[in-house]
Amino acid sequence: MPLENPILSISERVTELNSRYRNQKTEDVLRDILKDPLFGPVALVSSFGAEAVVLLHMISVIDPATPVIFIDTEMLFPQTLAYQKDLAEKFGLTDVRRITPSREAVFQRDTDNLLHLADRDSCCALRKTEPLERALIGFDAWIGGRKRFQGGVRVAIEMFENEADTRIKINPLAHWSREDVADYITVNTLPRHPLVAKGYLSIGCAPCTTPVSAGEDYRAGRWRGEEKTECGIHLASHVPNSGEPEVNTAVIVNDEGFAPDDWDRGYSVFEDMDDLSETQKSALAIDLPNTFDATDLLPWIDQIDLIRVEFPVFSDGRGFSLAQRLRLLGYHGRLRAKGHVLADQYAMVRRSGFDEVEISHELANRQPQSQWSARAAWQTHNYQQKFYQST
Amino acid sequence: MYNYTTFDKDFVATRAAQFRDQVQRRINGSLTEDEFRPLRLMNGLYMLLHAYMLRVAIPYGTLNGTQMRALADVADRWDKGYAHFSTRQNIQFHWPKLQDVPDILESLAKVDMHAIQTSGSCIRSVTSDHFAGAAADEYEDPRPTAEFVRQWSTDHPEFAFLPRKFKIAVTGSARDRAVIKLHDIGLTLVRNAAGAPGYEVSVGGGLGRTPMIGKVIRDFLPRADLLPYLEAILQVYNQIGRRDNKYKARIKITVHEHGIEEIRNRVEESFSLQRMRFDGVDQDIFARIEADFAEPIYKQASIEGYEIARQSDPLFRSFTDTNLHPHKNADYTIVTVSLKAHGATPGDASSAQMRVLADIAERWSHDELRVSHEQNIILPHVHKGDLPAVHAALRSAGLATANIGLISDLIACPGMDYCDLATARSINIAQGIATRFDELKLEHDIGHLKLKISGCINACGHHHVGHIGILGLEKSGVESYQITLGGDGTETASIGKIIGPGFSTDEIIPAIERLIMAYLDLRLDASETFLTVFRRLGPQPFKTALYTNEVKNHAA
Repeated sequence: MPLENPILSISERVTELNSRYRNQKTEDVLRDILKDPLFGPVALVSSFGAEAVVLLHMISVIDPATPVIFIDTEMLFPQTLAYQKDLAEKFGLTDVRRITPSREAVFQRDTDNLLHLADRDSCCALRKTEPLERALIGFDAWIGGRKRFQGGVRVAIEMFENEADTRIKINPLAHWSREDVADYITVNTLPRHPLVAKGYLSIGCAPCTTPVSAGEDYRAGRWRGEEKTECGIHLASHVPNSGEPEVNTAVIVNDEGFAPDDWDRGYSVFEDMDDLSETQKSALAIDLPNTFDATDLLPWIDQIDLIRVEFPVFSDGRGFSLAQRLRLLGYHGRLRAKGHVLADQYAMVRRSGFDEVEISHELANRQPQSQWSARAAWQTHNYQQKFYQST
Repeated sequence: MYNYTTFDKDFVATRAAQFRDQVQRRINGSLTEDEFRPLRLMNGLYMLLHAYMLRVAIPYGTLNGTQMRALADVADRWDKGYAHFSTRQNIQFHWPKLQDVPDILESLAKVDMHAIQTSGSCIRSVTSDHFAGAAADEYEDPRPTAEFVRQWSTDHPEFAFLPRKFKIAVTGSARDRAVIKLHDIGLTLVRNAAGAPGYEVSVGGGLGRTPMIGKVIRDFLPRADLLPYLEAILQVYNQIGRRDNKYKARIKITVHEHGIEEIRNRVEESFSLQRMRFDGVDQDIFARIEADFAEPIYKQASIEGYEIARQSDPLFRSFTDTNLHPHKNADYTIVTVSLKAHGATPGDASSAQMRVLADIAERWSHDELRVSHEQNIILPHVHKGDLPAVHAALRSAGLATANIGLISDLIACPGMDYCDLATARSINIAQGIATRFDELKLEHDIGHLKLKISGCINACGHHHVGHIGILGLEKSGVESYQITLGGDGTETASIGKIIGPGFSTDEIIPAIERLIMAYLDLRLDASETFLTVFRRLGPQPFKTALYTNEVKNHAA
């Protein structure tokens, strides 16, 4: 059978998709996306704003059970809420998910609903970006309504975009003109948002949206008078937990969970071993690359307190064999795996002789303590242990 | 057959639950695509040309009726109603959806099945002789060792992230049906002068881009040393196997570059340490496993019906001429069910056929089935008196093709129809050859012949060990098929040699026909096989038949 064919990375999939669908009709693209095995679950994210009706209508024709995520920031115009209910009913959409900000977060960060006056970006994060991020967990891709003609950073968007290597963002209408949108609405006699007639060309939250005069930029009514042009859900850099302070210290993982690093005496390398100072010898820790030959360490094996083995990438398994050999050669001190080790590998790390793992803060954020704890019972379901020794 | 213990059952159920969690964590971003890929592969899930492919393990090819039926249910519920039996004695589903895979694995765990280590850079699902425990020519049953190795290698913490995949095969017969010498490690059951059980261990065999015959690293390894010795080989490979180039990462290259002597010294050094971990309890486990493979309780009945049917039914006679192999119990026989009906895709079976096989096994083969690396299904213990009934049941399901060992019983990889690595189609060539020789009505006259087709240089169709091998390549946008001759995957293993320039899609089947006609002219009598003639006369007469006649035809 074939070699392990790497599943394409998100950026490769995006490139492939953009070329595959370059000249296809929007409805066909959508129909494909909702059935394509290159995608996991896909959601439509809709503002139920001025032009949202186009995608909502297309989706309802293809599959009215498609999940539709509607972010209710609790700052929307009452007309938007009414329009949302009308459209969902008229189009027979069966899976509209109205997402609201976390109660606890609003209580802590915007208890009097005035954050938008002080710090609009934080308000968007609290009420829109973070709730959307939560709502998109479980989705492989999401569909949005942005178009190039809307100007600003949107002039260069592609139909498929890589969202920070976590998801694909799909803009089926990227290449549509303002006239295309108008034609589609007219031809299909679709209901408009009630505020469109009052000069609102782009509709967001009530405090930050104003009508647009003739000749003005399309989205000029959003955050009027500020440099801000996007709420944040379309900025690629946003990540979950972005509110937490960035810490550069390493995280230690052991059977109890996460812990701070309690070793502050520094590390030597093998080349130093012949001329160590007395201070170094009193608390000796050594860094080893995973290519190291364990037998070279034999003369010192009883004097070392901590050995740290490098894992440059999780798929390089040499460190497991090095640990095994250090233990069989009689090393009884602390043994630590450092670097790119996955929560899924915790049991392997422990079984091959390591005591603990040292991971970066970034990895600890991505794979939080609960994911490591799920593998903490490393002695169970262990075939090899059954073979090694009678109990 | 091996009976799953509570431990085994808990293990596969937990593993299925872990995979469900990993899929969720991939979707929510906890795992990147690069991180998820090896985890997915170690659970049998590939990404192929059109979709995911799930490869389910059938360790050493052995399964029972309930398990076969569960596989049929998977094919119906989550796939397109059929499945593909592979050259690694496994089964492949070509159209599952990622989100369904955890459910599939959960359903398989309920019948003691899994997809663990059917792909990825780890110790793969162990393979063995598909006639194990049944063949008259077997001197010792390899299945207890295969199961022992399966358990030891499952989720081995040290060897889950090797430089490349690692395959182990076991045999206990003088006739090697497990392609032992073309595996990373080949284990042949032997006894020493004192009669103690042990193994001849070979290392560094393999097909692929650089085919190599394995070299003997230990000619007698006592059974009690097996696991620490395997750990030593794996440990040496894990440390010094190349990780800079995936085409040079298999242990065959490590052995080739360092030499078998240096590898042996390193392994012995490592073994002296690993051996300390074992205090003998593993041999108690081995004994318990061995007890599970006791011979079935054979029935005592007349075999008269068998002879009568042979006299009266020419189809039955033809079937029993080709598809049987001698059983260690003279009243019994081993039936090979061909999944190579002329014109069909080699190795494919419909869910309905799978259920018929399950029924037949339960009723007439002591509830046992095997999958052979030649992509057929074996009924290992059939009483000869039951053969007419078995044949009738097979016929009604389109499973009575009488072609085992013949030219149309060929191996072909999925080729460009399914696989994105393939450089040429292979299934259409397989179908074309089978259909052509069926028309000529020459198959039985040609006799024993192994024809194997790969759709690219990775050699999944094992073309290097075909008496006739066909390798599909792409030459400036056109499919071109190269012929190799003289390959052999048995105890007299050899690698086939390229005979000359390739043939186009239209030319390849007539070329094979010329080759076969030349063989029929050259053989001394009907008992001299293609391989024997080739070994006696060398490539020249075949080269002449392939290329001179072609020129003549063109001139005419």
